[in-house]
Amino acid sequence: MKLHPVQTLVSRCIGHLSRQRYDVIVVGGGHAGTEAAAAAARMGAETLLVTQKIQTIGALSCNPSLGGVGKGHLVREVDALDGLCGRAGDWAGIHFSILNRRKGPAVWGPRAQLDRQRYREFIQGELLSIKRLTVLEGSVEDLLVTEPNPDEPGSHRVTGICLENVLHPISASSVVLTTGTFLSGSLFVGQTTSPGGRIGDAPSSAGLSRTLKETLGLRVGRLRTGTPPRIVKESVDFSLANVHLPDRHPTPFSFMNTHTRCKPEEQLPCHLTYTTPGVERVVQESLHLNCHIQQDTKGPRYCPSIESRVLRFPGRRHLVWLEPEGLTSDLLYPQGLSMTMPPEVQLRLIREIPALRRAEIHAPGYGVQYDFVCPTQLSSALQVKSTQGLFLAGQINGTTGYEEAAAQGLWAGVNAARQAHSMPPVSLSRTESYIGVLIDDLVSRGVTEPYRMFTSRAEFRTTLRPDNADLRLTPKGYELGCVSSSRYQEATRVQNSLQEAMTALQALTLSTNSCREKLPDIRVSETKSTVLTGMELLQYKELSFEMLASVFPERLSPYLEFSQRLKIEAVYKPHCDINKKEIERIQREENMFLPPDIDYFSLPVSLSNEAREILDRVRPTTLGAATRLEGITPAAVVNLYNYVHFAKKKGVNGQQKMTRSK
Amino acid sequence: MRKETATGLPALYQLASTFSGAPAGLADADTIFALSSGHGKCGVAVVRISGPASSMALRCMAGLRRHLPSPRTALLRSITDPSSKEILDRGLVLWFPGPHSFTGEDSVEFHIHGGPAVITAVLQALGSMPGMRPAEAGEFTRRAFQAGKLGLTEVEGLGDLIHAETEAQRRQALRQMSGDLQRLYQDWSHRLKRCLAHVEAFIDFSEDELIEDGVLERVDSSVVSLQAEIERHLKDERRGERLRSGVHVVIAGATNAGKSSLLNTLCQRPAAIVSSIAGTTRDVVETVLDIGGFPVLLSDTAGLRDSTDLIEQEGVRRARERVQQADLTLVVVDSVLLPCEVQKAADILQENLTSVLPDLKQTNKDRCLLVLNKTDLLPEAHRRELERELNEVSGLPPVCLLSCQTHEGLQDFLSVFHSRLKILCGDPLSGAPTLTQARHRAHLQQCVVALAQYQKLRDTDLALAADGVRLALTSLGRITGKLGAEEILDIIFKDFCIGK
Repeated sequence: MKLHPVQTLVSRCIGHLSRQRYDVIVVGGGHAGTEAAAAAARMGAETLLVTQKIQTIGALSCNPSLGGVGKGHLVREVDALDGLCGRAGDWAGIHFSILNRRKGPAVWGPRAQLDRQRYREFIQGELLSIKRLTVLEGSVEDLLVTEPNPDEPGSHRVTGICLENVLHPISASSVVLTTGTFLSGSLFVGQTTSPGGRIGDAPSSAGLSRTLKETLGLRVGRLRTGTPPRIVKESVDFSLANVHLPDRHPTPFSFMNTHTRCKPEEQLPCHLTYTTPGVERVVQESLHLNCHIQQDTKGPRYCPSIESRVLRFPGRRHLVWLEPEGLTSDLLYPQGLSMTMPPEVQLRLIREIPALRRAEIHAPGYGVQYDFVCPTQLSSALQVKSTQGLFLAGQINGTTGYEEAAAQGLWAGVNAARQAHSMPPVSLSRTESYIGVLIDDLVSRGVTEPYRMFTSRAEFRTTLRPDNADLRLTPKGYELGCVSSSRYQEATRVQNSLQEAMTALQALTLSTNSCREKLPDIRVSETKSTVLTGMELLQYKELSFEMLASVFPERLSPYLEFSQRLKIEAVYKPHCDINKKEIERIQREENMFLPPDIDYFSLPVSLSNEAREILDRVRPTTLGAATRLEGITPAAVVNLYNYVHFAKKKGVNGQQKMTRSK
Repeated sequence: MRKETATGLPALYQLASTFSGAPAGLADADTIFALSSGHGKCGVAVVRISGPASSMALRCMAGLRRHLPSPRTALLRSITDPSSKEILDRGLVLWFPGPHSFTGEDSVEFHIHGGPAVITAVLQALGSMPGMRPAEAGEFTRRAFQAGKLGLTEVEGLGDLIHAETEAQRRQALRQMSGDLQRLYQDWSHRLKRCLAHVEAFIDFSEDELIEDGVLERVDSSVVSLQAEIERHLKDERRGERLRSGVHVVIAGATNAGKSSLLNTLCQRPAAIVSSIAGTTRDVVETVLDIGGFPVLLSDTAGLRDSTDLIEQEGVRRARERVQQADLTLVVVDSVLLPCEVQKAADILQENLTSVLPDLKQTNKDRCLLVLNKTDLLPEAHRRELERELNEVSGLPPVCLLSCQTHEGLQDFLSVFHSRLKILCGDPLSGAPTLTQARHRAHLQQCVVALAQYQKLRDTDLALAADGVRLALTSLGRITGKLGAEEILDIIFKDFCIGK
C-alpha cells in the first residue's frame, strides 16, 4: 500500500472562497458527507463541503471499527465505486478479521478495528488532495428555497445555503444534507438533557430543521441512539477476559490494496467479557434516574443500550467486547455497554464486571436523539422528490452505521453532480448491489427504527458477494464518471483474467478415473464415470485452485493470483446462473419508469382506492418498485403499465420531463 | 445506472420497447401449461403449452421423435406419458412455432377428450417433464401481452381479467385450504419461517453475539422432519392415482338387500347373477364403469352374515377385505325392512353401517353412501317420509332411496354418487381444483427439493444452504402467502439479543 502523506486540513474562511457559486454543496463532514463531497468532485462538479469543525472531519463518533457481516459488503461496494472508506480502513486498521469465515464466501464479513487518529488523518488528507473540492468551516443557518423550475416535477427548489454570521448566501445547483445526529439533536446523560449532535458539538441550526419541516413540508420523525463510556485502558484487568486475536494475514478492504498499512505482527487484540447479575441490578435500580431510556423514541432492536438489553432479555449474560481505540490510545471502547444513566452509576455498573472491577471512566456514555426525514419522500437517487436540488444521505434518512452512511453519501454525491450537470438521475438496483438494497428499502419501505444492513435483506445474496463488488460496480462507476481510470484499468485487468481463467477451467477436462489418480484428496463419487471440467472439479470442497494448478501448471499457473476468487466463482456459478433469470425479470420491470408527477387519484384506469393511496404516498419510480409495494396487486401493476403504454400512444402526459436533455 | 437513461431516450420509449418488442431471448425460460378450454363438462378439452420446452413436450408425448409437424396444422396422434409410455388418449396436436403464436413463444396445443381422467393424466404427464410447470393465473395472456401480441382494447381488459382470475384462484385456494389442509400448510410455513430466521441470525450475528449453541442443529432436525412430512403428504395425495386407475367402490350390506341388482343397474348389463335367494353372490364380482367421466372399479361382494358354509365364509372374508381397501362404500339396505318411525329406521341403518364398516368414524363419513333399495315395494307415503326425514338425521351419511327394479330414484342416486367421486378425485372441470392441486403439488415438490439443498450444502457453504431454506419458504409462500425480509428480522430480534 502506498504511503499516504500526512497532511492537516487548512481551515478556509469565507473570505478565501474562490467563488460564490458551486455545482454541489455538501453539508456535514461525517461518513456520508465526506463520501458525497468526494464523489461529486470525482464526477467533475465544483464542490464545497461545509462542516462545523474541520478537525472532526472523518471522526469515528461511536465504535472504532469498520465493516462486519453486511456492513463489510457495503464497504467493498463503496470502494468499488472509488469511495474513501475502504482505503481509509486499510490505512487505519489495527486488527483485521474476516467474520463468518466458515459460513461461505457470500456472507464473509471483512472487518477491522480502527485507530481513530489514523482514520481521521486519512480522510482529511484525501479530501484535501481532491481537485475541485473546497472545505469550509462554518455553520449552515438555512437553505435557500425558491420557486420550482416549472419544467421539472417538484414544488420547491433549493438553490444554496446561508451561513451563520455571513451576509452573502452561497448558491449551488444541488445541496446534499448529511446532518447525522445533529438535526435538532439532543444529548442525554442521566436526568440531564442538552442540545447537541455529539458530545462537545452543537446541533445544527434550528433554521435548517424549520425549513425542512415547515417550508418544504417534509415528514420528520425522531430516532435515538447511544454510545458507551470510554474506559482507561490501564485500569482494566485483561487476565479476566478472553483474548481475541486478529487474522494472521490482514485482508485489505480495498480492491486497490494488496496489503494494509498495519503489519500483521503490529495488530492489537480485542478482549471478550460478559455482564453479570450485578449489571442487571444496577440497571434496574437506576431506571428512575435515566430519562433517555424512559422515552418512547425508537431505538434500534440491534445494538441496543445495556439498559434495553437487560430489560428485554433479563436473567442472561450479555457479551461485552473490549476494543482498542488506537495504536497509541490509552482508551478502550466497551462494545455492548452503551448507556445513558448518570456518570456515577455508569462507574458502578461497569465495575460489576470482573475485568472492569477497578476500571476508570474517561468519558461517560450518553444518548442522542435526533430528527430524521422519512425516507419514503426520497427518490432512488436520494433526492427529495418534492424539492428540486435537495439530496439527503446518512442518519438523516433514518439509517445507523458508518458504512450505511458512506454508501448513501457516495450515491447522493453522484446524483447531486449529475443534477448539476443536467443529467438524469441514476439508481442502483437491489439485484446488483447492497447499496441498491439499502436505498430501495429506505425509499420504498421507510424506517421504523434506525436501519442497519444485514445480509438477510438481500434477495440475491449469493450473487452480491464481497469478493465480486469490483466486477459488479467498477465498470458502471467508471461509465458514470465517479471511478478513476487507474481503478477502472485494474478492474478490467481482473475481469479479463478471471474470464480467461474460467474459460481455461471450462476447457480443462479430467475423467473420473484420472481424477482419482491425480487428485487423490478429492472424493469423486464412485458411481459416476464421466468427464469433469475444471470448473466442476473446483466445486468440490476439498479441492483448491492451487491444488488444481499444480496438476495443470502450464494452463493454470498464470492465474494463481486469483486462486481464491476463482474457487469462489466456481462454487457459486450454478447458483448464480439460477439467480440470473430472476434478476433479469426484475431488471426488466425496473426499466419501466413511472412518471414522477402522475396524479394517481384521477388516473382514468381501474385501480382500487387502497392502491391509489399507496402509489400516491410512495410514488415508485419504476414498475419494478411498484410491484414490491405491499398492497399492490398484479392487476394494479398491469393497469399501471397499461396507462403508461396508453399515454405514450396518445402522446399525452409530461413524460419528457423525466429525461432532460444533457 | 441504466443505458437507456444514459442515452437519453424518452422513458416511454423504453417502456414500450421492453414490452412490445421483446425478442424471444427476453422471454421467461419456464415453459407453462394449462387446460385452456372452459371449465365445465365438454367433449373436447384443449391443453395449451407455451415456452422453450414446448417442442420437446410435443416430441415426447406425441411420438414425433424425428420431426415436428408443419406449423399450425392439426395432426391426429396417440398421446403418451413420456416416462411410462402408457397411451393416455388419442387426439389432435398442433404446433405453433414462435413468434407466430398467441404468446409469441413456441406453443403447442393438445386437443384431447374432455373426461377428467384424460385431462388430469395429460396435465400430470406434462408436469413431470423438466422445465415445465402449471401456468399461474393469466400467465398466457401476460406473456402474449409482453410479446406485444395484444391490441390496445385487449390490453385494457387484461388487468380486470387478471384480477378476476386471481380472485377466483384465491377463493379456490381458500376453499381447498379450509380446515385441516390449511392448518397443515400454515404449520409448515410457520416452522420454516423459524428455521430461516434462525439460520439468518446465525449468519448475520453469531460472530459477535451470544447465539446459543445448537441453533443450527435445531434447524437441521426441523428441516429433516419438515421434508419428511411434506414428502409423506405428497405421497398420500391419491387423487391423481384414483383418476388414473379408477376409484375403488365396493357394494356391501346384508344378504338379499339387492347389492348385485345395484351393480347390474349401474353397469346396465347382468354382470352378476341375481336371485331372491340370500347368499347368491359368494365371491367378489368386479366391473369397470365410467360415471360422469370418472373411472370406477365397482365390486359387488357377498352379503354379510354368519354362515356355516365354508365357501360363503370365504366370500364374507373377502367382502370385508374389499370394504377395508375401498375409496367409497355403498351400503345397501332393504328398505322394506325399515320401520315406519324415522328414529327407529335411523337406528337400524346405523346398525347396518356398523356391521359393514366397524371402524367408521364421524370424520370418514364421506367415504360411504347409504342406498335404500326396493323402494317400489314401499307404500308411497312411507317412502316419501323416509326420503324427507332420513337425510335430516345427524350422524348418517347421505341416504339415497331407489328401486333397482323400476329405476325410480336412480338419477338422484347417480348425482350424489357423482359428486362423491368428484370429491375423491378432484374435478378438473369445475373451477379447476385439480389445476390448483397441481400447482400446490409443484410448489410442495420445489419445497422438498430446496430443503434437500439445505441439507446437502449445510456443511460446505451456509449461504448457499440458507438459500435452500429461502427457496423452500418462497415455494410454500406461493400457497400460503408472501413473506418479507422484515418478518424474518422480527423473529430474529424476538428470539435473540443482538447487541453489536
